[in-house]
Amino acid sequence: MSAGPNADSDADADPGADRATTAGAGTDTTVTGESLLAVRDLDAGYGDLQVLEDVDLDVRDGEYVTVVGPNGAGKSTVMKSVFGLTNFMGGSITFDGRDIAGRNPEEIIRYGVGYVPQNENVFAGLSVRENLEMGAYILDEVPQERLESVFDRFPILRERQGQKAGTMSGGQRQMLAMGRALMLDPQLLLLDEPSAGLAPDLVEEMFDRIDAINDSGTAVLMVEQNAKEALRRCDRGYVLVDGRNRYVDEGSALLADEEVRREFLGG
Amino acid sequence: MGVRDGYSRARRALGDRSTALAVAVVGGLLALDLLRRLFTGMVAPGQVATYLWTGLVIGLIYGLAGIGLSLTYSILSFANFAHGDHVTAGAFSGWAVAYAIAGSGAAELGSRLLVQASPGQVGASIVSTPLAILAGLLAAMVLAVALALVMDRLVYKPMRGAEGISLLIASVGVAFALRYLLAFVFGTNSRGVTASVPRYTIGGLVVNAHEITLAATALALMLGVHLLLQRTKLGKAMRAMADNEDLARVTGIPTERVIRWTWIVGGGLAGAAGYLVVLKTGTISYSFGWVLLLLIFAAVILGGIGSVYGAMAGGVIIGLTENVALVWLRGPYSDFTLPVAFGLMILILLVRPSGLFGGVTTA
Repeated sequence: MSAGPNADSDADADPGADRATTAGAGTDTTVTGESLLAVRDLDAGYGDLQVLEDVDLDVRDGEYVTVVGPNGAGKSTVMKSVFGLTNFMGGSITFDGRDIAGRNPEEIIRYGVGYVPQNENVFAGLSVRENLEMGAYILDEVPQERLESVFDRFPILRERQGQKAGTMSGGQRQMLAMGRALMLDPQLLLLDEPSAGLAPDLVEEMFDRIDAINDSGTAVLMVEQNAKEALRRCDRGYVLVDGRNRYVDEGSALLADEEVRREFLGG
Repeated sequence: MGVRDGYSRARRALGDRSTALAVAVVGGLLALDLLRRLFTGMVAPGQVATYLWTGLVIGLIYGLAGIGLSLTYSILSFANFAHGDHVTAGAFSGWAVAYAIAGSGAAELGSRLLVQASPGQVGASIVSTPLAILAGLLAAMVLAVALALVMDRLVYKPMRGAEGISLLIASVGVAFALRYLLAFVFGTNSRGVTASVPRYTIGGLVVNAHEITLAATALALMLGVHLLLQRTKLGKAMRAMADNEDLARVTGIPTERVIRWTWIVGGGLAGAAGYLVVLKTGTISYSFGWVLLLLIFAAVILGGIGSVYGAMAGGVIIGLTENVALVWLRGPYSDFTLPVAFGLMILILLVRPSGLFGGVTTA
């Protein structure tokens, strides 16, 4: 597409010079070698519009990473780029040692990445069970043991497996959306604002469920607007501003950082 | 702002209810009048039964053809104006094959393949040449599928993701191209196709073997579509894609393959519908599908565009309406059944703007 000129000049300019300055609110948390997901100098956007510039991001195997930042910072764009839903303009994205930049979602799913979009993330006209079956579409058969484990994780889905997804509450839909993404037992789960649109009393519960998913070994990369709660829960956090890395550190360290608190967490 | 909203909402609700009430009252009066006519002998019960039967038969055709239109609308997001000409193309290819088999020896092959041989000589009917009729049905479906796939590859695939209106206009172009290609190959004359078949009279209800064949085939195909959509992985993926294409993509559903199957199913049913409608009416012409398309659209819109079950139900309702209207439209007025069918469509849309099955996403 029209990404050509942009991508070239950026690729020429770099060699990772920014990384030292962007990663910086505390201890050195630059990940080397063993990252499950490694994003380097990512430039990406939609059509001609570039949203991300030189973004670096890592998720280790089994790690829980969140991306926070003001509206329009490009948080969701990072996630969509990993999943092949944006216009890739330069840099690199590797997952489990494979270059996945510019691949389409169907391939990326096969490599072991699951994605839960923010809105309209269930098939409203399909039953709960059919929604879960669609999650395993790329397999020849629906894996019964995965279905059972999703039902065990979210018992409400077993109770309501015949119900049309469109008639369920927001919290139940969010569980169904996660359940669908878990049908392939992904190594990495991408969650785009899982608390958006949930009633306040359900938000805690949703974060608990994400903790549980992560505790069972699945790495999580989450974008959240509820920054305080997200940073409290995660292993590491990234603060993104204007499509660039601003801070990166352990979640607790970012929460404790004066500057981060003042600028992004409302004091 | 809030007050105005509330006011207009109240007005709308009131408007809806009064329209629904008016429809119910008129419907009730017509039903009463029908009973009066039946009891006073103005219309024979067998006659009404025949209207109902004919309406059902033609309605099944509208419904069958409407399924493809609805699928393309919900999965590819455009109203396919070439659908009627796919119906015609299926009919011609099916009858060419049926004639080739049925009339061997009776007329020369060329005239049989162009469906120009005289029906009397060929003698194709479900009673005298059942195998040829069935082979023709199969050929109609297969060739209509092939045509749909070719058109997708040539026209719609390069435009994937374009606005619905651009695709619609492209489909109008396809419609003209197909129609005049058919006219070029098969000629522009309207002609008889089938030999006459026995009629059965059951207490005044007149039924013939071709109508029975049509109804049985159409119902079997509709059942097949239902099972496909509800029971198979592919059918569920089609419903999923109709629901939310972006989500289908990020779920790993191979959207291009689902689109291909949408054309296969919709095209095959269009071909079958075209072949069967000729079996019933006994005549064929290069433009009959285009004329039929208006009624197919009416059926699909009435049922709720995008809903497969709505298309089936809408087709039967339109078919029944235009035939039962003949109870009142007698003599010179019997040409006015179509306005009645469209009138009913408009009335239903006034009460339920999204159609009977609209809003419930059923693919």
